[in-house]
Amino acid sequence: MIWFSALVLIPLAAVVVTAIDGGWDVFWTTITNGQTAAAIKLTVFTAAGVTAVNVVMGPLIAWVLVRDRFWGKSVLEVLIDIPFALPTIVAGLVLLSLYGTDSPIGIDIANQRPAVFLAFLFVTLPFVVRMVQPVLEELELDVEEAAASLGASRFTTFRRIILPSLTPAITAGAALSFARGVSEYGSLVLLSGNLPFKTEVTSVRILSSIENDNVAGAAAVATVLLAISLAVIVVLDLIQRRVAARG
Amino acid sequence: MSIEVTGLNKKFGDFVALDDVNVTIPTGQLTALLGPSGGGKSTLLRIIAGLEKADTGSVTIEGVEATHLPAQKRNVGFVFQHYAVFKHMTVAKNVAFGLEIRKRPKDEIEHRVQELLKLVHLSQFAHRLPSQLSGGQRQRMALARALAVEPSVLLLDEPFGALDAKVRKELRDWLRRLHDDVHVTTVFVTHDQEEALEVADEIVVINEGRVEQVGTPDQLYDEPANDFVMSFLGEVTHLGGVSLRPHDIELEASPQLAGSVEGTVSRMVRIGFEVRLTVLTVDGDEVSVVVTRAHARAHGIEEGSTVWLTPAAGATVVPRMAAAV
Repeated sequence: MIWFSALVLIPLAAVVVTAIDGGWDVFWTTITNGQTAAAIKLTVFTAAGVTAVNVVMGPLIAWVLVRDRFWGKSVLEVLIDIPFALPTIVAGLVLLSLYGTDSPIGIDIANQRPAVFLAFLFVTLPFVVRMVQPVLEELELDVEEAAASLGASRFTTFRRIILPSLTPAITAGAALSFARGVSEYGSLVLLSGNLPFKTEVTSVRILSSIENDNVAGAAAVATVLLAISLAVIVVLDLIQRRVAARG
Repeated sequence: MSIEVTGLNKKFGDFVALDDVNVTIPTGQLTALLGPSGGGKSTLLRIIAGLEKADTGSVTIEGVEATHLPAQKRNVGFVFQHYAVFKHMTVAKNVAFGLEIRKRPKDEIEHRVQELLKLVHLSQFAHRLPSQLSGGQRQRMALARALAVEPSVLLLDEPFGALDAKVRKELRDWLRRLHDDVHVTTVFVTHDQEEALEVADEIVVINEGRVEQVGTPDQLYDEPANDFVMSFLGEVTHLGGVSLRPHDIELEASPQLAGSVEGTVSRMVRIGFEVRLTVLTVDGDEVSVVVTRAHARAHGIEEGSTVWLTPAAGATVVPRMAAAV
């Protein structure tokens, strides 16, 4: 518990304390500032969108990796983890050279909102896949066969037997993916251009506050992010309980 | 006839799992598919259930050609060795699953689930999760789940294989009694000859993908078709070119019967009322013989004594195969 407090609770409390120290006025003016609000909105909505994509694609990729046999499977296994292993600024560089102004494939999204989305997608890809995969591997085939012999179609078996077993893993993966999206900096900072009101995300906003010696302002934004992340985790947990109970 | 299997062949790569299998399983009886592990009996059961596809051959269930029917449409109940419970559902929900799929009215489902849970003695566990049940209870739940949809046949794949010896024996007796009540055509796979002999009305012996013999437990034990069936159903020894049971050998201290074979007792173990002897005959055979304690004492038999062996009158005798077990 002490270990846990030292690692997680004390830093979190410190952020909140710093935000409060600045006073309510600073807090309120910071977060209602148009540029900050736009950054928070962009970050949260993009992170939510990316998480939604991952919730669908993650289990699908995990399914293919566990259930299908194909040439190059082990290569794909490694590829999935690259966003984990790659320093995010390198990822940003790769994305910039691929989707930037000199794009070799003719897609130029530099300084545009899709750049943020793409960067989030890149770094959050492994979360749901890696959470779901072991659960899927543990799933016994005979359970699906039992459902089939009782008359359940493939779809019904998936919905009523497989999905409820995967839900906790999908939720956990979604929470991680959302949190990672909200906190992302390195991979998008090059490609997005950090244009205020357009492609500037909160992490960039916090950094510029610090650079301007506005620690209280930075802490205020951080506190808002903290509250949103907490709310998302709680909501996901509720959804998970609902789905698991419905089975 | 309830299940009719004709000309079934199945290969997994190079491994021949089933080799031209023809079996007819009678309606309303409890039939055992008995054989050693890897002999193809589980594959046969899975093909009947539609969980595995045969390479060639056909399956008819209750007169309906089922060869190309998917498992969902065969109306068979299947019970797996490792229970295959739906972990996230309560016991009652597990049992109700097949009925809910069939969109039966709610009160009918509830009534039927209660009835089935009573039948398998799990009424008080209706709202527990499977993880809170013992192995034996889980398997009874799986059985109720399979019976819920009123299957035309009930198939059990090594149903007691994962349970410890005591529970296994209890469930075995219980299954027999349940079958006497429910009368659904039942086929179960086992590699335990005692289980098959004790529970089944009819036994199909399967080895290396082929049916070796079909018959009642008595027929199989008393009139085995070959050396394999004989040795699989009980102890076997060889005397003068034939296979027979160790307790079917007459043992005398002097040559009194015609055709008796002379030998020396090389080993003698007494277990309770019976005495197990190993006799080396002059022909070079090593023969196991079981006699009663009283018989051994009356003839003064001990290690090293010379004895004469004869197959007992009426003994089950089968010509010895080249590759005798």
